[in-house]
Amino acid sequence: MSDASSGSSEAGPDHEHEHHEHEGPGYATPQAAIEEGDRENLAYVMSLYVGTDVDASDFVAVVDLDPDSETYCEIVDRIEMPEKGDELHHFGWNACSSSCHMEGLERRHLIVPGQRSSRIHVIDTKDRRNPELVEVIEPEEVFEHDLSAPHTVHCVPDGEIMISMLGDADGELPGGFLQLNDDFEIEGRWDPPGEIEMNYDYWYQPRQNVMVSSEWAAPKTYYPGFDLDDVEAGNYGRKLHFWDWEAGTVEQTIDLGEEGLIPLEVRFLHTPESTHGFVGAALSSNVFHFWEDDGEYRAEKVIDFESREHPDWDMPVPALPTDILISMDDRYLFGSNWLHGDIWMYDVSDPSNPRRADSLSIGGTFGEIQEVQGRELAAGPQMIQLSLDGERLYWTTSLFSSWDDQFYPEEAERGSVMLKADVDPRNGTLELDEEFLVDWGELPEGPARAHEIRWPDGDCTSDVWQ
Amino acid sequence: MARHEVTLDWVGGQTRMIDVDEDETVLAAAQRAGAPLPLPYGCRTGACGTCVGRLLSIEGSEAAGDDGRTAESIDVADAFAYRREPRALKPRHRDDGYVLLCIARPRANSRVAVGSRVQSELVDNPWK
Repeated sequence: MSDASSGSSEAGPDHEHEHHEHEGPGYATPQAAIEEGDRENLAYVMSLYVGTDVDASDFVAVVDLDPDSETYCEIVDRIEMPEKGDELHHFGWNACSSSCHMEGLERRHLIVPGQRSSRIHVIDTKDRRNPELVEVIEPEEVFEHDLSAPHTVHCVPDGEIMISMLGDADGELPGGFLQLNDDFEIEGRWDPPGEIEMNYDYWYQPRQNVMVSSEWAAPKTYYPGFDLDDVEAGNYGRKLHFWDWEAGTVEQTIDLGEEGLIPLEVRFLHTPESTHGFVGAALSSNVFHFWEDDGEYRAEKVIDFESREHPDWDMPVPALPTDILISMDDRYLFGSNWLHGDIWMYDVSDPSNPRRADSLSIGGTFGEIQEVQGRELAAGPQMIQLSLDGERLYWTTSLFSSWDDQFYPEEAERGSVMLKADVDPRNGTLELDEEFLVDWGELPEGPARAHEIRWPDGDCTSDVWQ
Repeated sequence: MARHEVTLDWVGGQTRMIDVDEDETVLAAAQRAGAPLPLPYGCRTGACGTCVGRLLSIEGSEAAGDDGRTAESIDVADAFAYRREPRALKPRHRDDGYVLLCIARPRANSRVAVGSRVQSELVDNPWK
């Protein structure tokens, strides 16, 4: 475990390691994260009541993942937001391995934005099991910078924090990036306005001075729900933008075309030297590989999920791969087909030619397994997170409150679940852990949805290396 | 200050009449009144649609039709003035009587269907 996280109260007895070559919040390399990281004993999970008739605020759930604990698979603490209506969605750390050489900086504060409210919360996780809300940035302060709808949070290497913003102050285009300083105050926009129209997820590779960003749509387009008319009207994204990371300007834009509609989660390989990465095009049900070739980025479709016929549906049902992630050793690409109900893993040792390793058919419209421990599944697999050693894959089932209501209305009554598969990286296999179930349907206020998952000491979707 | 009576009709549930000032939004008035159930809301700027209600009638004239849908003759503009543009609503939604309660200020007594189920009427599953 890294120096910074050794202050954690839940670090366990084996947190003292011999590796102290660096100071700061994180691991020196992706391989160091695999070797030095402890097993994930806690998860922070975005949990929400927005858009329901339950009179409660969204919250961050602290889930016990220690199989030896009496409260294994239980929500052991909840950090409730001060207001209702936030739609907690994605979140991130104030510092990650990109700043592993920064003395005094700790991976300690979670930056927790509300997708609908544009309110930004800061949670202090010094006590890993009992975190505390310490700062709130009100929406009006965000709107002053003509931005709204905060999404992806990454720290930037000097202790600052950057958040992709999907809309302007009115929920229309263009989006941009908001920067916070290390006192969690808004510093301003990171990018000169007008570099992009649509925005969504982003990932940076500082050693290559490159950042890549993807596109969803204007908030006013996706907030109320998914409408095919908006697809026809070109209101949904299909482009990737490659930025000069130092300058904050777009150097190249790749239009992925009809096969790249709604490019959501975008991931570079963890190896800091690499210029290879992947993006999932949710609506077209494809995964694209992108890479640098002679100073230019290129993108090519490498995985194509076929639509499937269902007797109760009028048209072939698209797979809708809504989340992807890359294992810390850059060997496997994992993803979730939310509508079909598949969790899949591809061997990407040759990133141009992903090879299907295994998949698990669970939940969703076609899943072979439709209940776990007698608990009926109301939706397909959605946000995923992998252990640092690549041996345990976890997922939740909510996508976005209004889209959930459209595609899986039962989720509002039953709530989300968190499930887990055991991964054998040597043989490239996935196996459902039927002993593991966390249920958001049994909360005192009523059923809640669950979305993004983070580990206290770094994970496969938040750490970047300088 | 002019006030209007807005009757909130929870889909499949309770009904409650609240007094709303002309310069107050329905959402703010419902929160002030401590309505029996909270009204759902998100952005509070008319962009997200979480707070959407459906206008059923104005000045006591009951909605036409047995299905509870809004009568075609009802125009939201007769019942509410918006504080700002209702961006989350498409023209077809506005024509169908949908109203964003986080930015709507009353101009007449009216009855509105509210609750989370109204939002899920806005869009359906295009494949099903």
